[in-house]
Amino acid sequence: MRKVAAVLIVILMILPMATAVFAGGPPPKNLKKGIFLEVNEAAGTALFQDSTTQETSTLMIGYSVKAEDLKLNKKMMVSFEEHDGQVFIKTAEVMFLDLTLTKFISLIVVGLVGGLLSGFIGSGGAFVLTPAMMSLGVPGAIAVASNMCHKFPKALVGSIKRYKYGQVDIKLGLVMAVSAIAGVQIGIKIQKVVLDAWGNAGSNLYVSVVFVVVLVIVGGYVLRDAFKLSKNPAAADTQSKLSLRLQKINLPPMMHFKTAGVTMSAWITLPIGLATGMLAATIAVGGFIGVPGMIYVCGASAIVASATELVVAFVMGTYGSIQWAVSGLVDIRMTLLILSASLIGVQLGAIGTTYVKDYTIKLVMAATMLVVAVSRGAKIPVYLQDLDWATLSPTTTAVLNGISFWALIAALATAGIIITGAMIKGMREAKQEVQVEESHSKA
Amino acid sequence: MSKEKKKPILPMIIFGIVSLGSYFVLFNQEGLVTETYTKGGWYAAFPILTAFWFSFVHGSFGSNLLDVVGLQAKKNK
Repeated sequence: MRKVAAVLIVILMILPMATAVFAGGPPPKNLKKGIFLEVNEAAGTALFQDSTTQETSTLMIGYSVKAEDLKLNKKMMVSFEEHDGQVFIKTAEVMFLDLTLTKFISLIVVGLVGGLLSGFIGSGGAFVLTPAMMSLGVPGAIAVASNMCHKFPKALVGSIKRYKYGQVDIKLGLVMAVSAIAGVQIGIKIQKVVLDAWGNAGSNLYVSVVFVVVLVIVGGYVLRDAFKLSKNPAAADTQSKLSLRLQKINLPPMMHFKTAGVTMSAWITLPIGLATGMLAATIAVGGFIGVPGMIYVCGASAIVASATELVVAFVMGTYGSIQWAVSGLVDIRMTLLILSASLIGVQLGAIGTTYVKDYTIKLVMAATMLVVAVSRGAKIPVYLQDLDWATLSPTTTAVLNGISFWALIAALATAGIIITGAMIKGMREAKQEVQVEESHSKA
Repeated sequence: MSKEKKKPILPMIIFGIVSLGSYFVLFNQEGLVTETYTKGGWYAAFPILTAFWFSFVHGSFGSNLLDVVGLQAKKNK
């Protein structure tokens, strides 16, 4: 208990220094939020009231944003650009879109399956929720913020549930979270260098390439492992050779993780967290490296690793959400709609883990990672075109964007089907076991 | 199956009502809520605390709901 308290104190000390803890990059700075009171098309100006300061000002339109793009008396998010020494409106997006029934239902369905996945493999949902929201017409920054604000309550509920099943290693989770926070900082620095050097399109390309390479390599490895284990379930209890070798390295300070059943040097544990954070800052899903890292490098079982990832997601999600909320970008309506289903989904996923073998979790994780890699890979030619390194016909671009989106939906559906199937099978077997036991005790 | 615990129907109903009520209040005051919640700065406490509130209320509802429908974790031997 004293050790946990010590770790908590360290976190509390580090957090004020961590000024930018969020996945997927920092909230944009040069944004203004407010209402357009009047648009003068002939003069190329618009009267704008800032909702934070209540000051009104005249803004220039006519370059990227035309008069018809502005909606009067609706809260809009505005960004700026400079042309010939004058500041023009670059983008103007309605912040709170009207929630139609279709949007309502889509958010709830995606929330449910995302929650199920999250409860089962420790991460998930985020990679599909943000694009799904954006395809419903939500501005990117709002989608990231609202999604992040839904992540930490979900992770909290999920980790409490899995803690009750004895699957969570809190200490490992906190150590991972703290080092991940440091990793996020490094990840953002790298992102900034890329952004400055190659601009927005270059940054998108960089993110996608990292995404695809990491997901294919790690996902492929996990898949191979899952298949091996399904053929030889007895091997499930053995730790990876790498982690066994690493555990022999006696470099103080040594850390003992009780639930994971591992004693390891802090010099090995911390870099995994660091890598998780760096990846989280780059591709917005740290769990895809954190969970395999805990399994193959630390030597935790897939069940413990996926449960512990929820603690990491909670800590990182909370502070990420605070950042985005301070910028005032969370659309709480969307957050709550997703939560309405995902808080149930995540608990269902958690229950599911008690019925399946370790390799099922690995299988679901690998399948998700690989399909998500396809989704992101389909976007690469589009980004190449943005950089003028390739030319695509508009049809090709549309098809690629379509593939990208539907692959995400397919990833969710695949995972949902495998989890549900495995759960039903596991529950049936458990019932049969109970019946057999009862008939034995009667006889 | 013989020693089955009592199903938490009452807690499910109570948490369900509180959760539904919270949803109703927030969505009924949609305009005011979205405005206040996105003011930024210290107003950030609104969305964060709301998220915690729902994770407790709606999370407890969900937990009880799954118990009532009979979806429970496998019992360890």
